[in-house]
Amino acid sequence: MQPLIQFRNATLGYGPKIVLKDISFSILDGDFFGLVGPNGAGKTTLLRAILGTLKPMSGEVIVRNNNGKPVRFGYVPQRDTVDYVMPYTVEEVVAMGRYRQVGLLKSVSQHDRRIVHESLQHVDISELKHVAFKDLSGGQKQRTLIARALASEPEVLILDEPTNGMDLSSRLSILQLVRHLHEHDKLTVLMVSHLLDDVANYVKRIALVERSAFQVGDVDEILTAENLSALYEMPVTVSNVGGAKIIRAGGDNGNA
Amino acid sequence: METHDIVLTVVREFPYALYGSMLVGTLCAFLGVYIVAKRVVFLGAVLTQVSVLGLALTFLPVFALPHTIGSLVVTIASVIILSTLLTGKHIPKDAVLGFVFVFSIAARILVMQKAPKVEASEIENLLRGDILFVTPELFYLMAGVFVVTMAVHLLFFKEFSYISFDAETAGTQGYNTGLWEMLFYIIAAVVISVATHMVGDVFVFGFLVVPPVAAMLIAKRVKWIFLTAVLLGMLSPIVGLFLAFKLDFPTSPTAVAVASAVLGVAWLVRQVRA
Repeated sequence: MQPLIQFRNATLGYGPKIVLKDISFSILDGDFFGLVGPNGAGKTTLLRAILGTLKPMSGEVIVRNNNGKPVRFGYVPQRDTVDYVMPYTVEEVVAMGRYRQVGLLKSVSQHDRRIVHESLQHVDISELKHVAFKDLSGGQKQRTLIARALASEPEVLILDEPTNGMDLSSRLSILQLVRHLHEHDKLTVLMVSHLLDDVANYVKRIALVERSAFQVGDVDEILTAENLSALYEMPVTVSNVGGAKIIRAGGDNGNA
Repeated sequence: METHDIVLTVVREFPYALYGSMLVGTLCAFLGVYIVAKRVVFLGAVLTQVSVLGLALTFLPVFALPHTIGSLVVTIASVIILSTLLTGKHIPKDAVLGFVFVFSIAARILVMQKAPKVEASEIENLLRGDILFVTPELFYLMAGVFVVTMAVHLLFFKEFSYISFDAETAGTQGYNTGLWEMLFYIIAAVVISVATHMVGDVFVFGFLVVPPVAAMLIAKRVKWIFLTAVLLGMLSPIVGLFLAFKLDFPTSPTAVAVASAVLGVAWLVRQVRA
């Protein structure tokens, strides 16, 4: 697999303040990659560097596809960053994903509308297309934002805290949708989350973001009780129940 | 005066007042939809007061520009400075806006005290603006601003709406969101500046807020919100002018009161529906 995103000895920060120092890792074409860490550890900084809105202080961040062209991202932001005043319909929100391809001074074409409808079908919310985005449930909103990202025909789907604040069933439903997009549509997925359980059971590779110890590897080698206890500076247990990893703070009764 | 006489008087004697206030009402209501949606209503109030300060400054010999030019210079400069201050993390945004708001009012009062050869009341009249005394020059300037503003907004409607809805994601797709935001606020500054000189701060701020909020209560789709706000912005000044003549009220506050009455009805309808 070819690398789509490469950090080469990159130091990231704002002004004189260094947030992440001298990091090197790659996200490969076809990866299902998790970016995990405590709040304030630098996940957003890393994300901004990937999206090109933050230049490295030193080193390189190379974001190129297999043809040497810039990677097209489908970005799913945290749900609370969008406007909830205007009653944009689900269809209008998803069409926004096409605006960059449509270009300036042009309107959305039939071709774009077809892609919008396919994206809605893909995430199973076609019947909601005339409903106002602001009136949807948390899970439906997240599906809409994923559909919008898909409408931009991305090479990499990036989800920022996609299950934050959701109930259990919505959470599982969104994570299964993301897994489906990765497995069936062969989308490269980068998921940012502070919810370790979500990441542990879905992604293949993981970056544990912490200023003093930035680690990258397979889920099983990174998400160990020892590693997480050191990262969060408290006892953390990692249990395996029915093939699923359960990560809990405190105690030592898990099977690390 | 009879209703028929009032209508004839307004149309024949005050055409610039009538059509000018409709232009300003329409434009402020349209831009106000974004201002309310972006949750920067206080910025509208701030820019209105900055624009009034710009007008006041032109009475000083050291800043003796034409009134509209002076107001434009000060308002656009303020937008550029505010864009820097509002992105900083040291002072909360509302504190920055609050400071600029109160500074503009205080500075205007001080400037008026020192303005030579002009009565303070005369300046105050100009600063408050009066629909009835809209000059042909101001009317045509406003018409030009109207055409340019609407052209830019209609041509780039999808960009302005996307960035207003979700600037973060738009930025990841390659939009220079800072530049688009700056364009929006500079256009708003020009509109507010010329409009304030023309019809006064009460009318401008009132129409930036009241028709959009009323439209948001009534309409359930984005395009209908814009259309409803624009219609309300266009029609309220007509009714306001008529009532001002009929009841001997000042024109600008009457126009805002009319729009506010519609807002009240819209709120009641909303409550009944719920």
